[in-house]
Amino acid sequence: MVNKQSKKQTSKKKAIEEIVLSVKDLQTHFYTKWGLVKAVDGLSFDLKKEETLAVVGESGSGKSVTALSIMQLIPSPPGFIVGGEINLESENLLNKSDKEMQSVRGSRIAMVLQDPMTALNPVFNIADQVGETLSIHKKLKGSQLYNSIIDMLEKVNIPAAEERMKDYPHQLSGGMRQRVVGAIGVSCSPTILIADEPTTSLDATIQAQYLRLLKDLQNEFGMAILFITHDFGIVAKMCDRVAVMYAGRIVEIGEVREIFNNPKHPYTQGLIKSVPSMDEDIDRLYSIPGQPPALWDVPDGCRFSPRKESPCCDVCINEKYEMVEIKPGHLVDGCKCCRGTCKSSKK
Amino acid sequence: MANTLIELQNIKKIFQVGGGFLGSGSKDLIAVNNISFKIEEGQTYGLVGESGCGKTTTAKMILMLENPTEGTIIFNDQDVFEASKTDPEYKKIYKSSVQAVFQDPWASLNPRMRVRDIIGEPLEINTDMTKKQIRSRVDELLVEVGLQAYQSNLYPHEFSGGQRQRLGVARALSLNPRLIILDEPVSALDVSIRAQIMNLLVDLQKEYNLSYLLIAHHLATVRYMCDKMGVMYLGNLMEEANATDLFDDPLHNYTRALMSAALPSHPDIVRDDEIILEGDVPSPLNPPPGCVFQPRCLNQSKCTCSKTPPSLKEMKPNHMVADCKCCRTYAGSKLKKA
Repeated sequence: MVNKQSKKQTSKKKAIEEIVLSVKDLQTHFYTKWGLVKAVDGLSFDLKKEETLAVVGESGSGKSVTALSIMQLIPSPPGFIVGGEINLESENLLNKSDKEMQSVRGSRIAMVLQDPMTALNPVFNIADQVGETLSIHKKLKGSQLYNSIIDMLEKVNIPAAEERMKDYPHQLSGGMRQRVVGAIGVSCSPTILIADEPTTSLDATIQAQYLRLLKDLQNEFGMAILFITHDFGIVAKMCDRVAVMYAGRIVEIGEVREIFNNPKHPYTQGLIKSVPSMDEDIDRLYSIPGQPPALWDVPDGCRFSPRKESPCCDVCINEKYEMVEIKPGHLVDGCKCCRGTCKSSKK
Repeated sequence: MANTLIELQNIKKIFQVGGGFLGSGSKDLIAVNNISFKIEEGQTYGLVGESGCGKTTTAKMILMLENPTEGTIIFNDQDVFEASKTDPEYKKIYKSSVQAVFQDPWASLNPRMRVRDIIGEPLEINTDMTKKQIRSRVDELLVEVGLQAYQSNLYPHEFSGGQRQRLGVARALSLNPRLIILDEPVSALDVSIRAQIMNLLVDLQKEYNLSYLLIAHHLATVRYMCDKMGVMYLGNLMEEANATDLFDDPLHNYTRALMSAALPSHPDIVRDDEIILEGDVPSPLNPPPGCVFQPRCLNQSKCTCSKTPPSLKEMKPNHMVADCKCCRTYAGSKLKKA
């Protein structure tokens, strides 16, 4: 049933590697009663046209705050974007006013959230909710609006769309609801779709349907997808590149295959080893010792050192570090010990 | 060969839903339909399936939180429900030898109780240990699950998710049970913590010769932890075998679809026969007649079992499959091609 072979190189391998979103040194901090929480602390990545970039990490690693920062939906106070740039096709979104951002949200960058029951409004039928974005951004009215709503619902494979459009969210199943959220997301053919754990609340067979749908929509609309997840399976299944986050920073970013075959940061290595496989028996699963640091108490120097089997050396642990490109497109964060280039740690 | 610890025989559970005064016009919801399986001593039995397929209802019946409508549960050669009717003490003994660990460690620990009281409560109720003895037993249990004895004075909110799940395990262990029901024990935890808890459970099993009933939807977890497993769909057991056999050669189309829908652990793993099922699981209030999988089966046009429900049949040694021809043939021919 399973074949370990190299997947066919995706034929539509982008000739033009156009960058649609570029995040540079983003810092989003929260001022809380426990102190300053650096939820995102120096984050840089590029999102290319029509690619799927996965952002993986544990809860509290800053994945969702990254997404909300891009949309500028950080609750403020207590949250503030204190530094960095978010460039959408060479316009810095951080310089835009609230009003200007409203024309970006939903039309150029759209978002699909985790829980469709809270993302949809229970007192409006789904036609109203899909139509809302279309009428605001595309200024559609009357029969034109009506037809495009049906069109959108058909695109996300809702059977008998014309009858179902009068349904309210509670009349639909979980998978169907998430399709409606997807329809709202792609209705204005955005450049970027941010998918924040869209399949976590779905069952396995429904999840497979939904991932296939997202791929189809991506091909049809030519969107770039920023896929936020904690599941390495989704990364392996449908993403082109992956950024691994830990305590507010990207620790490693690169092509999916490169990261799986050649992970350099001890956190990435540990994460990949600690996921059991369905295709073989494993005697003993590797587990990363300890737990992620509380975000108001992140170590000053190397963040990952406390969770390593042998901690980083005294020099490296206090040193400031930046991301280093070790191969074209494969960047690793962390001190020299974590990257394995520290002389004193070599035996 | 290990001894059978617990055996479920033709268990059926029907819930009455809806209806007016005195239940007139209510409908029958068949949550669990005629399922039978055994759990051996010191082994792990896995139940997989999508939400609403009856996994948790089965677990609740084993925990005596629900009474089965039909069928019997045999624990150590004794009919559990018969014995507890005649001997009220038996119920107490049975309940202390069957314990549970739940999915959500935030909801399953009382936020107003100290850890010492949470873990000590079962001991206080079921044994005549003195306070001092209970205290030292709690300290022992905390160390056993990888925490420290001084933490018995803390409240649940002072622990992280993984640590809370350890507390849940300690509470389940307190009465030296024979069987622990693990209802999605790791799915609410972070990836790096999951492996820690799974390894802890495996270690404890070896140490105390515990039996587990693992309820999960993440197939890789089941493969790692289980010796034997069953696949449920809409209240019915569709396939049952040793975990390795079932993963290597699934016979029922639903099992194949479930495995094909599971996410790969490496991008180089490509499934040749990707099956994506159409539609949703039908409502258990109105199940399809005959083979329940038939409306979603890939081979439904040729289905001949749409009238009589198929029963489990041993197709290979120790490998039981719902005897519905069409639900197997399609997959069979597909397998040859691959």
